[in-house]
Formats: sequence, structure tokens, C-alpha cells
Amino acid sequence: MSTENETDGSVLNGVGQLNGHSSEKPTDQSSSNSKLLVDIGSTYFKVSTAHSIEQHFRDFNKRILDDLMHKCGDTVQRFDAQDIHICSSANGGLSTLIIGLTHSYSLKYATNIAYNSGINVIDSILFQDIEEYSIPSDLIDVVIIVGGIDSNGGMFDDRLHAYLSKLNYSNVVYVGNAPDAATLSKSINQLVVLPNIIDDRLHIVEKHLKDYLTNLYQEDIEGKEDIKHLYEITGNQIYSTPFVVNKSLPHIHASFSVTDPFILLDIGGATTDVHYSKDLVSDNIVTEQEHDRIVFKKLGVFKSRQSLIFTAENNEYAYELLMHLKVTENIYKEHSEKATKILMQLAIFLVLCKMSHYRPAYVTLKLLSMNSIVFTGGITKVLTTADIEDVVAFFYRKIMNSDHKPVTVLDTQYDIWTIGAKEQATCQ
Amino acid sequence: MKVVTGVIGNDIHVVANRLMDLSLNARGYEVFNLGVNTYLEEFFDAAVETGADILLISSLNGEAEGWGREVKLLKAKYKNLDNLVMMIGGNLTVGSGNAEDIVQRFKSYGFDLVCHQIDLNTGLDMLEDHMRQSSPALETTGA
Ligand code: B12
Repeated sequence: MSTENETDGSVLNGVGQLNGHSSEKPTDQSSSNSKLLVDIGSTYFKVSTAHSIEQHFRDFNKRILDDLMHKCGDTVQRFDAQDIHICSSANGGLSTLIIGLTHSYSLKYATNIAYNSGINVIDSILFQDIEEYSIPSDLIDVVIIVGGIDSNGGMFDDRLHAYLSKLNYSNVVYVGNAPDAATLSKSINQLVVLPNIIDDRLHIVEKHLKDYLTNLYQEDIEGKEDIKHLYEITGNQIYSTPFVVNKSLPHIHASFSVTDPFILLDIGGATTDVHYSKDLVSDNIVTEQEHDRIVFKKLGVFKSRQSLIFTAENNEYAYELLMHLKVTENIYKEHSEKATKILMQLAIFLVLCKMSHYRPAYVTLKLLSMNSIVFTGGITKVLTTADIEDVVAFFYRKIMNSDHKPVTVLDTQYDIWTIGAKEQATCQ
Repeated sequence: MKVVTGVIGNDIHVVANRLMDLSLNARGYEVFNLGVNTYLEEFFDAAVETGADILLISSLNGEAEGWGREVKLLKAKYKNLDNLVMMIGGNLTVGSGNAEDIVQRFKSYGFDLVCHQIDLNTGLDMLEDHMRQSSPALETTGA
């Protein structure tokens, strides 16, 4: 294990202590005794049996499967393909661009469904102003077009076609009003038409778009060269990690003393995922689901390190936070354990800002009503509860003008992910 | 005819809103009721999504004045709401106030019909008259 530490350490400086982390776990659910759960992230992977959990940094010079077999081959070989369950966030996720009629309904509903299906929203475009938007240069995995209730039609015109003709995308799906579906399917190539996500009472209808996006995600994972090979060791479907995490949230109270409402932060190497209780938002989306998800694509401490730093440099309080943590901006240039720690603390602060009134994103959470913050992922191996509470208290003082102190919960044993993976495994 | 209705701002007075829903339905309108606690942008957005002809806002708790001043600015951002008939009613000021002044003020904010402390049915009769005048083809009731 120590040699691996050294090799990996050269790729990902300063966080050597994450390597080969292994700890004993009590057997809790006999159903999972015979199961092996594997989570592949952009930076490291975790392998969990009923008795132990191991975490390793990925070696980017190797294919994922080879890397996994090299580091955990003995464990993997003890299990049948049918008993190995894998989830992955390593493919970076699918990207979507949404074109809709209004912020409060079409764009909001589609964004909500996309996030909850594990998809990253690159941009959302208000159709009436479509000519004023710049065209993203990246390839968009799926374009979502939405707007209007079924008794309303004629909402989209040639400006839509002009925009699409300049856009580089792989799939396009229409989930808007019925009358326009017929015309658009004639004029837009390969348009997939699904039932409207806005019903006649202006309520959200999630199912069809959610199923479509989840399947697309699945196909994407299966198509990715690197991930594809993992099917050599599993007989089960490979799921996206946020999907699995979302599955575990309703069961979170069995493993942690979490008081509702709460948020769960998964600060990863490339992106940061936030899952939150719906009680923390006051909006017009009424669904049965208790938790929603939002992802910040460019906030991560390894792959997205540069954009994290960029965001910090543009936040007027970040400098003060650095002073509070007794470091200077020079820390951005360092590659040390200390620097990783500070970046993770910054990431917590910046995400909270983005979820607050201070830097409103797609949702603003009622952070003063939040009772717990749960942290999962690599951060739990780097920061202590005290490190986290220090930043959270700083955020509440500076941004919220409050002494509010939600309880910090660290998912050090990755229970969140294992509960979700088990849930998924039992469903299969 | 399609009507979007609701109570604006952080206003939870729901009784008139329920009655409004029933009365509008009884008069043959297709009603989209956004309920209490509705923000101005949601009203306009709902009008766009539904293709509504009429926006009928209630305000009971005294917040109307603050929202009224926002109407023109926000509506100007929409490119397809020029034909929307705008109506507001309820308690449009804090305290009683002079009805004539209040009506004038809210008209200057961009409302076509203003009903300060006027009962619902009188208000809806006014709406029907207005609609008949603006499109004489609609000789019958609401729809
Ligand atoms: C019940 C009530 C409450 C209940 C509401 C329960 C609920 N969920 O509905 C509670 C106790 C929660 C409450 C709270 C408050 N209330 Co209150 N409440 C009332 C009360 C007593 C009755 C309202 C009612 O339901 N009436 C019955 C319905 C059918 O009548 P209506 O609402 O007046 O509506 C009629 C017309 O206005 C018209 N109409 C309404 N909308 C429209 C729209 C159009 C287009 C048209 C044509 C007509 C129309 O139609 C209706 C029937 O004709 C009134 C006083 C009163 N007697 O009116 C105060 C009153 C409305 N409340 C008032 C206030 C100030 C408050 C609070 C701010 C008090 C506080 N300090 O906390 C809070 C605000 C809470 C909030 N966030 O909105 C004031 C508003 C003062 C103002 N505008 O100047 C009032 C007038 C009391 C007063 N005289 O001071 N309230």
C-alpha cells in the first residue's frame, strides 16, 4: 500500500493520507453480507464489503478496471459478478441546456428534474431572449425544450431553429405544450417528444423526463470506454453516484442523528453535490420527493481546483476567511496537505454562499432553518468537525448575520453511499 | 377565457382567494389559481405559460403598494404580455385611504381595473364590462 501512496501522491499532492484508507465496519444488514459495493469518483474510488471499507486514489495512468484490480483485486475476486454493485460519478455526468418560456415554471421545473436525474445544467435560456444568449462551445449531451400548458400553443418560432442550428448537441427532447409538439417534431431532427412536464394546473409532472434522462445517463456510463470495462466484473447495472446518494436520504436517520431539515454536501474532486430537504425551499414545485439535488459543476478540490480558486477570488469574503484561517492567498499556489484542507474549507464556504441570498443560484435555501449539515466524500477524511464548524460559523456570522449553528455530521464511514447502494442492490 | 389569479407577496389571507376561484369558475372562466404567497414574477410567468387573457391579483394585508410600484418595470421585461388585462383588488393600502386616489395610483402602476375594498361580485361585473368593451365580439359571459 505504501508504494501506491507514493505513486498516487505525485499526481495528487498533499492528500496522501486518503490513500488506502481502510476501516472495519460492523455488519449491519445481513442482506448485504455477500455484496461488494464499489463507487468510482473522479479522484478516488471506494470499495465496501459488509466488514470493511477501502478508499484509494485513482491512478490516472491506468484504466479504471486495472487500477481497481491492482489495488483491490483480492477483494473483488471473492465476489460473484451478481453480487458486485458499482456506481460512478467518474464520467463527469451528462450536460444539459434548457430552453424554456419562464423562470418560475418551465425552466425551473426542467432544471429540478435534470438535477434530480443526476444531470448538470450548463445553461438555461429564456426563449423570448434567445437571440441574446451566446452559444456554448462545448458539446451539450441533451437539449431540453419546454414551455406552455397543453391548451396553449404557438410558443416557439424560427428563433429556436436558428439557435439549435448553431448549437453542438447529441440529443434533443421536447417536454412542452402539446400543440407545438407536432410542428417541432417536423422541423427538428431526431426530436424526442415526451408528455408535458407542466400540467393544466401548472403543476410539475416529473416522471417521463426523469426516466428519459436517467436512461440517457445510463447509456452514457455504459458507452464510456473506461467505465465499460467495469461490466467485466459486475452483472448489475452501473448507476450514477448522486442517484444512489439520493436513494439513501430517506433512510439517513437510521444511521445518523440528523435533525430535519438538513443538507448533505458531497464536495468531490470535480464537482460539489448538494442534496437538501425540500422544507428548506419555499417554492411552487410540489412533488412527493423529500429531497432535491443541485450540483455545482465547477467547485471541486482537484480537477476543478482552478475554478474553485477563481470563484474564491471573486468572493469579497473569501479573503477574510483566509485571514481567519490564518493563511494568505499564496496558499492557492501551494500543493500541500494544508492547501487541500484550506481549499476544502473554502469550498464549504462558497457552496453555502451559493445556496444563500448572497449569491443566489437556482435555489435559495432557508439556511437559518437548517438544523444539520451532513458531509460525505473525501472531505470527511481531511477535515475535522472543528475545522468544518469553524467555517460554517464564519459563514453564518458574515453572510447571514446570525449565530445559528446547525449540527455538523461527518459520514466518515461512507454510510450514506452504502445505504443507497444497498437500497439499489435490493431493488434489483 | 383564461384568468390567472392569486394573492400577492407574503400575504396569507386565503378566504377571498377561494371565493374568487369559485366565482370565476361559475362565470365560465378557465381559472389558474396560484394561491397565497405569490410573487409578481410568478404571476407574469403563469400568464405566459397559460396564455392567459386576464391577470387578477388580490392583496389583503397592505403589501399592494410596494408591489404595485414594481409592476411596470417587471412587465416591460416580457415581450408577449401587451394584451394582458390587469386587475387588482382587496385592501390596497394600509388603513382605509381615499378610494379615488388609490384607484388613480394603481392605474398609473399599470392596472386596467382597480377595486379597493370592493366586493368580489361587483368587481367581476366590472371585469366583464371591461372585456366586452375591449373586444365587443364577446357579447356573452366570461368564456
Ligand atoms: C382572517 C384575517 C386574518 C387571518 C388570515 C387567515 C387566512 N389564512 O386567511 C390571520 C389571523 C392569519 C391574519 C393575519 C394578518 N392580518 Co389579517 N385579517 C383577517 C380578517 C379579520 C378577515 C379577512 C377575511 O378572510 N375576510 C373575508 C374575505 C372573504 O374578505 P376579504 O379578504 O376582505 O376580501 C373581500 C374583498 O376584499 C374582495 N377582494 C379580495 N381580493 C379581491 C380582488 C379583486 C380583483 C376584487 C374585485 C375583489 C377582491 O373580495 C372579498 C369578498 O368580497 C381581516 C379584517 C376584515 N374584517 O376584513 C384582517 C386584515 C385583512 N388583516 C390585516 C393584517 C394587518 C394582518 C396581519 C399583518 C396582522 C399582523 N400584524 O400579524 C397579518 C398578515 C399575515 C400575512 N402574512 O398576510 C389587516 C390588513 C390591513 C390593511 N391592508 O391595511 C386587516 C384588514 C385587519 C385590519 N383592519 O387591520 N389575518
